[in-house]
Amino acid sequence: MNVKETVEIAMTAGEILLCSGSEIYRVEDTITRICSAYDIECEAFVMPTGIFISGKSISNPIDTISLIKRIKKRTIDLHCIELINTFSRGISLNPLTYSEAIKQLNAIKKPPYFKLMGRLIAAAITAFAYCILFKGNIADGITAAGISALIYYLKDVINKAGFTQFFEYLASGLIAGGISLIAARLFPVLHMNEIIIGAIMILVPGVTITNGIRDALHGDLVASIARLGEALFIVTAVGAGVGFTLAIGMNWM
Amino acid sequence: MNLMDIVMAFLGSYCPAILFNIERKNLIWAGLCGALGWVVYSSLYKYTNNTVLSVMLASITISLYGELMARQLKTPATVFYIPSIFPLVPGISAYDTVLFISQNKLDEAMYKAVDTIATAGAIAFGIMLVSTIFHYINKKQNSN
Repeated sequence: MNVKETVEIAMTAGEILLCSGSEIYRVEDTITRICSAYDIECEAFVMPTGIFISGKSISNPIDTISLIKRIKKRTIDLHCIELINTFSRGISLNPLTYSEAIKQLNAIKKPPYFKLMGRLIAAAITAFAYCILFKGNIADGITAAGISALIYYLKDVINKAGFTQFFEYLASGLIAGGISLIAARLFPVLHMNEIIIGAIMILVPGVTITNGIRDALHGDLVASIARLGEALFIVTAVGAGVGFTLAIGMNWM
Repeated sequence: MNLMDIVMAFLGSYCPAILFNIERKNLIWAGLCGALGWVVYSSLYKYTNNTVLSVMLASITISLYGELMARQLKTPATVFYIPSIFPLVPGISAYDTVLFISQNKLDEAMYKAVDTIATAGAIAFGIMLVSTIFHYINKKQNSN
């Protein structure tokens, strides 16, 4: 197998990992491990928004290549991370041919998802659970669950319509704030703040902030700043959306 | 501490794990890990009244569990601790910071911002501590 094919395989594996929200050091480790399985010396530089790899054949030092890949979409998909982990461990024990490896990677790109209904229910139960944990009552929890499922669904729709991420979160914040405000006015048993907290639990970037700091502790400073910046924009969008509806509600109702 | 909170913490890790598309056979272990972390956090918080210390010990517990389960089930430890730190991560504090800024309550916003950074730092530090130790043990075992 030549350098180009190997680096391509390593790049695809790294791309899947990064798009699934893996840590930076894991992406770099995987790329290096795949390349060294095929006796290729490589240097990988990974950022949350792109991957740079350059590889050199050990047996034939003239044979070199560099590849760059821009990463635009990042979600958290733990199943993909697990599959790529198995793939890279397998390849370092027993190197596959190019076509075989590409076939396996293409299969990993489409992992089995839970059905939309299942994910909506999960979003609803998440909101319910956190509403209760933050001292809301059962009625608050049920309202938050409804709002959360609605937000999860609409976020999918907005995402497919091709708006920016910022707008997606701003709209979600507006919806969460608006519905909670109206619900709390109509039914005085409900507590507005607890409902909002439950409903936006699936939006706020707590895990991203923590991963950002973890990247910094690993020494990936650029990646850490990028992740923390992303988290800052998301939380600003959500907070601005909710804050806007609250400001209107306090003054005009 | 009551049973209801533990059940809610279990659901609060189990359901985000579905949203993070974890493999089905690992779901229940991720949920249990989240509940365990919450038990450690809330019981320590009750006695010490110190968020950062309790969160850090909870995250050490979670990552110990995660690393041990990862060895048992041959999966990366991340699969377990991303959903299980979900009840502890400072998402809501970060949101509160922005909300207070938008309401011009800057003192409270400052307080929440520091809380956010401290909590996230404590969780990250706890995970790093355990994963570094396990990394070292794995290296030792492989070289022998």
